[in-house]
Amino acid sequence: MDATTKKYLTSGKMNRTEFFLGVSAMLPLLLGVVPFGLVFGVLGISSGLTKTETILMSSIIFAGASQVVFAQLWAAGSAYIVIGSSVALINLRHVLYSTSVAQYLEKLNLKWRIILAYLLTDEAFAVSIRRFTAHGTSKPVHFFMLGAGLTLWLAWQISTIIGVIAGSTIPENWELAFAIPLTFIAIVVPLLRSIPTIVSALTSGLIAICGQSLPWNSWIIIAALGGILMGAFIEKWNHNK
Amino acid sequence: MIWFVMILIGFINFIFRISMFSGIPNIHLPLSLNRYVVYVPTSVLSAIIASSLISFNGQEVLYEAEKLVAASIAVIFAYLTKSVSATLVAGLITIWIM
Repeated sequence: MDATTKKYLTSGKMNRTEFFLGVSAMLPLLLGVVPFGLVFGVLGISSGLTKTETILMSSIIFAGASQVVFAQLWAAGSAYIVIGSSVALINLRHVLYSTSVAQYLEKLNLKWRIILAYLLTDEAFAVSIRRFTAHGTSKPVHFFMLGAGLTLWLAWQISTIIGVIAGSTIPENWELAFAIPLTFIAIVVPLLRSIPTIVSALTSGLIAICGQSLPWNSWIIIAALGGILMGAFIEKWNHNK
Repeated sequence: MIWFVMILIGFINFIFRISMFSGIPNIHLPLSLNRYVVYVPTSVLSAIIASSLISFNGQEVLYEAEKLVAASIAVIFAYLTKSVSATLVAGLITIWIM
């Protein structure tokens, strides 16, 4: 076996190892993802979206919280501009993730970068960045992210489809729509680790409650911006003290 | 129309995701923006949580006590377990038995 073939074979093996390490790193996180996907599937149907719209939204938008907000605002008959800007605001955090992973991915070819960008979610970011910072230069870590990202993608699609099927059969008194705020509570509460974040969340919540009668459901944008500005303000004020 | 909005949002989301490794040189997040972005997820999601529990229409505050109790229990579970499944189950069971 000549050196090139040997190198090719070992690197193929390394790629596979990285891929499956990514898959197994993602598995425990699916415990949180699958119920969320089910909830989205159910909610999509109860919001008046068709089965096709709900299922395809999971691959077109592929971002849990945004899809839920989209479905809720759509069902409430909100203005398109409100739906679009709310969802864009929620997704803005991906720019932060993109910044963090950029140094590890920018050398890859365009095809790889497009696929990994599409698969960049909260969970894929969380598991991949740990691998990247530990082995970013010595191992083919893009295969790790591919494994993690694809696992999440598949789980998200399957749980959406199951949710859609269940959504047309689950009785209304099961209060499954209430699963949405519950899911968000599960996401938000562990993030409230500093005074500015807590104040930011409370401010936004209060504005949302008081702004319910504002036109086009614009409360969501106003509340979010209010919370963000308040958080940044408190942080700065704390810092200057 | 829904397809147009959905695809547009999907596209914007993709642009956000690839933004910093798109291959277009010299795109960097302004540091000043960084300070705000950390508050985005908690702000947006808190607004949705709050609005699904309580609303104020200018005259009266509307809420369902069962939902407030269930949400409080969910907050405790989320804090203790950090698990979506545990929080969901705790909150839903509370609302079912109340």
